[in-house]
Amino acid sequence: MRWIWIDKFVEFESGRRAVAVKNVTLAEEHLHDHFPGYPVMPECLMIEAMAQTAGILVGEARNFKEKVILAKIGKAAFFDHVVPGDSIKLEAQIETISPEAAGISGKITRSGQLIAEIELMFSHIDQNLAGKKFPEENFVFTGMFTSLLRDVVLDRRPADSPPMESGG
Amino acid sequence: MAMSRDEVFEKVQGVLVDALGVDDDEVTAEATLMGDLGAESIDFLDIVFRLEKAFGMKVPREELFPAESLMNDPELVSNGRLTDKGLAELKDKVPHTDLTEFEKDPDINKLPDLFTVTAIVNYVETRVNAA
Amino acid sequence: MRFILIDKIVSLEEGKKLTAVKSVSLAEEYLGDHFPTFPVLPGVLLLEGLIESASWLVRKTEDFAHSMILLEQARNVKYRSFLPPGSQIEYTVEAKAIDESVSRFSGFGVAGDEKIVEARFGLRHFNLSERNPALTAVDAQVVEELKGRYGLLSQQR
Repeated sequence: MRWIWIDKFVEFESGRRAVAVKNVTLAEEHLHDHFPGYPVMPECLMIEAMAQTAGILVGEARNFKEKVILAKIGKAAFFDHVVPGDSIKLEAQIETISPEAAGISGKITRSGQLIAEIELMFSHIDQNLAGKKFPEENFVFTGMFTSLLRDVVLDRRPADSPPMESGG
Repeated sequence: MAMSRDEVFEKVQGVLVDALGVDDDEVTAEATLMGDLGAESIDFLDIVFRLEKAFGMKVPREELFPAESLMNDPELVSNGRLTDKGLAELKDKVPHTDLTEFEKDPDINKLPDLFTVTAIVNYVETRVNAA
Repeated sequence: MRFILIDKIVSLEEGKKLTAVKSVSLAEEYLGDHFPTFPVLPGVLLLEGLIESASWLVRKTEDFAHSMILLEQARNVKYRSFLPPGSQIEYTVEAKAIDESVSRFSGFGVAGDEKIVEARFGLRHFNLSERNPALTAVDAQVVEELKGRYGLLSQQR
C-alpha cells in the first residue's frame, strides 16, 4: 500500500488553489477491510487526500523549502460515502500562509455532489516543534509528490520572489 | 471603524469557539487559553489567522502572544522567573494585559495564565478603535 | 496490509468509554512513504485509531444493530507529537452521546506519557437496507464479519 492518496492534479494556481482527482478502485487492498462485504473509502483517507492536495499547494508556494506537516484538522464534515468506481475531486484553497504555518479550506465532490468540507492547518516544522528531533533534509516532498506536479502547467514565480504571506 | 467592547467580545468568542472547538459558554472573560480552553502552539497560529479574518487587520503573533520568545532569552529569565529586564520587556509587549498580580511573583510557569480571553479582547479593542 | 488501526481493545464500558492499543511496526508498508528516512504513523491513521475505537464502542453498545458506522464529522483534531515504529499508543474515547443513528465522542491517544493526538468527532450509523432493501443480506454479511473481528480484538492474549 503506497501512501499516496491523489492520482493527478487537474488545476494548479500557485499560491492560491489546486484541484486533484482520486479514483477509488477495488484494486485497493484496504477497501476490503473497510468493510468486508461492502467497501467504502475510509473518511480518514479522504482527509489525507485533501491534506496531500493542500500540502503540495502550500509546499510549492514556498518552493518546497520547508517540511509541511499536517498539524491540525480544524473541521471535517462528510455528507455521503464514496465507493469503488467513484472518482472524487479535491479542491483546496490557501486561506492564510505565514512562515510558520498555513490554513487551508477544501471541499471534496463526486460528479458535482458535495461529499465533504475540510479545514486543515499545516505547520512548517523547521519553524516549529522546537525540541522534537527530525532529519534535516526535506523528507516530506519526495519524488513521488513532485512528479504529480510535472503534468500540470505551473505558472511558476522566479525562485527568489517572496511567497504570499500574512500575519506573523 | 469603532466597535463596542461587547461586539469585540462576541466576535473574539466566535473565533475561539471555532479555533479551539470549545463551547460558547466555556469562553468566559477570565478563561485562560492554555489552562481552561486547551490551546497550544498550533492553536495560537489558528487564532491569529482567524482574528485577522474576523477583524480585517494584521495581527503579528508576537504582539498577541509574546511570551514564547521571552521564555527562551537568558537575559530576561533567571531561575524560572522573569528578571526586571524581562518584566519590562513583557509590559512593553502586552500593554493590554494587567500584570499587577503576576509582578508579585513573575514565575514563568505562570505566564500562560496571562493569556486570558480578556487579554485578547483588550488587544483587539485597542487595535480596532485606534484605526 | 490490513486496514485495521487498533490491535486490542483493553477496556470497554458500554455507552461510555473504550480504551484500545496499537503497536507501530516498520512492517506497516505505508511507513516507507511516510516518510522515507523518518517513518511516523500518519496523522489520519491516528484519527482512524480513535474512529475505530469509538465505532467498536457503538457496535457493542447497540449490539451490532448497524452494519455501517462512518465518520460524520471531526473537529479540532490536533497532532502533538510523532509516533515512530517500536512505540505503542493507547487510545481512549469517551462518548458524549450514543443515539440511534449518530454518536459524539471526545478522544485522545497517549504513548508513554506523551500525548500524541486528541480529537472531538461524531459518527453516523446506518444499514444499507435503509436506502436499498435489496442490501439486507449485505448488511448481515458485514455484521458477521465485524463480529468476528470484534472477537479477535477483544481476545484475552
